[in-house]
Amino acid sequence: MGRYVLNRLLRWIPSVLFILLIVYALVFFGAGDPIKLIFLQAPGDVAYDPVRIEAIREASGLNRPFLVQFSDYVIHILKGDFGNSLVSGRSVNEMIKAAVPVTFSLGLSAIAIIAVIGTILGAIAALNQNRWIDNLIVGFAQFTWGIPVFVAGPLIIVFLVLVLKMDVPFGWGGLFSPKVIVPLIVMGLNPMAIIIRQARAGVLEVLSEDYIRTARSKGLPTKTLVFRHILRPVLTPVVSQTGLLVIGALNNSILIEKVFGLPGLGRLTENAITRSDYPIILAIVLIFSFVVMTSNLLVDISYPLLDPRAASKKKGED
Amino acid sequence: MESEAKKTAVVEEKQYNLFKDAMKRLAANKLAMVGLIVVSLVILIAIIGPMITPYDFLSQDLNYRNKAPSAQHWFGTDDLGRDVFSRVIYGARTAVIVAISVTVLSYLIGIVLGSLAGYLGGKVDAFVVWLIDVFMSIPSLLLVIVVNVSVKPVLVNWMDAKFLETQNQFFRNTTWVDFAIVFGSLAFIKWPKAARIIRGQILSIKNKNYVVAAKALGVPTSKIIRRYIIPNSIGPFIVSISSTLGEAMVLESSFSFLGVGVKPPIPSWGNMISDGLRVWQVYPHILAAPALVLAIVTISFSFLGDGLNDALNPRQWK
Repeated sequence: MGRYVLNRLLRWIPSVLFILLIVYALVFFGAGDPIKLIFLQAPGDVAYDPVRIEAIREASGLNRPFLVQFSDYVIHILKGDFGNSLVSGRSVNEMIKAAVPVTFSLGLSAIAIIAVIGTILGAIAALNQNRWIDNLIVGFAQFTWGIPVFVAGPLIIVFLVLVLKMDVPFGWGGLFSPKVIVPLIVMGLNPMAIIIRQARAGVLEVLSEDYIRTARSKGLPTKTLVFRHILRPVLTPVVSQTGLLVIGALNNSILIEKVFGLPGLGRLTENAITRSDYPIILAIVLIFSFVVMTSNLLVDISYPLLDPRAASKKKGED
Repeated sequence: MESEAKKTAVVEEKQYNLFKDAMKRLAANKLAMVGLIVVSLVILIAIIGPMITPYDFLSQDLNYRNKAPSAQHWFGTDDLGRDVFSRVIYGARTAVIVAISVTVLSYLIGIVLGSLAGYLGGKVDAFVVWLIDVFMSIPSLLLVIVVNVSVKPVLVNWMDAKFLETQNQFFRNTTWVDFAIVFGSLAFIKWPKAARIIRGQILSIKNKNYVVAAKALGVPTSKIIRRYIIPNSIGPFIVSISSTLGEAMVLESSFSFLGVGVKPPIPSWGNMISDGLRVWQVYPHILAAPALVLAIVTISFSFLGDGLNDALNPRQWK
């Protein structure tokens, strides 16, 4: 077990570094001159004065080779410093600190809701295979699976406000304010289908196992059967989808925050794109990739806990 | 004796009519057929679009702004008095162009890397698999945003320089830059999926007994590929291409929704939804028209994908 965890960790580090390198290189070689970008926004025409530009470049160390600057950037990040915004000059750390709680609390609760409700719905569907409730759940999953959040969100708002004449509050009032309900529902709808399908297929597979027949013939009540014998093996494939859910939740948060006007990382990203504010974009990419890779790592580590067979299989592989 | 002969005849017929069988199964699946019809319709509309639009998508009628749907303007008009129906049809064109180009590009990359990994194995395989994992754990929206904001200035500058050099009007039109960047950046995030499928197919078929047997019998490689490998891997391949088409369409819309990618005045369903979000309380039709169309198209793709999967992947039958 210890070796397995260590092995995963050792793979995780170069992956994060590699993403950092790609993104940094893209911005470094593509984005254009950061100094010019800064002064094009500033008053005066410093941007067109090559001598002063060179002086500033020299002073800020931006004329050093790529790899030197890159390692400098990595060291700064390891110290927890993402630099300053090109547009406002404010510290990126501050801006991100304000936005992270919105995105992460929304994303985490969406994932929790999806995982719990999705597993339950999937299990109900499988236990009632081919009855109307199964068809309803599977149909619902198939229907919501395709619709992206930036389409479902606006349509739901239009429906609630203009057709049902409901008063839908916008903006952010913390995770426990009623404002959060509609965005959470929209964020949950789309990826829910993945979990419903996984859980349904998983339960169906387990139901055909011999030990379930034994348990049934022993006369175990259905409740015990479901909780003791069915749910645990089904959780493994469901947990394996967590990485996908995390990516989905982060992608969706960018879109959903625009739809509902939430002040999270998504809105920060959108503003940064329109103003080409690279330090912010870089920081957000890093945070997102870090979260995804870490959750993948956690999933890998949790496999053996859920299903001891996985650990020995993985060990055999390495 | 006779019935036995009949049996083998039937079996043989089945073997040789894989595609007829698949088509029959697909035709029996009503939802998949609806999906197929809608998807074909969208592609048809994208091709003949300009012939059937009642108005030019750019022509403005400022006396006729924000009008609700009517007999002259089926989907109403937008804030500049442009016909929303014509814009939705042109949006289909944008969506289809992007979807097809992105799918072709990402499969080209995927086929090269995936088959290299599958055939060569060893360290090459390990590296490609790692690369796929890393790329799949970067949230795709953000990666595209980074590629977009970093590569675009370089290309635009190059186009400007080219224009000054050649005075060729072609280089003034940055629409092509937008499209090229959308193609490139979407292929950049979609290739890992393609590569993974190709690699998986090659690995699973390469060691199948019938391929080994054919090799041992001295069947030439080209015939092995034609007779055994392609027919046996084409099913999952078609399924994954259809899902990539749908995903690329949704991604294109999400980027133009966020303001990267295809830019106004070129209509894309995404930027139309984003425009509609500003005025939905007063003129909901501007938002609802593109959102409903995109919702219908994405659902159709998911129905079609499911149907194809059931029809073409006999190994999954129970």
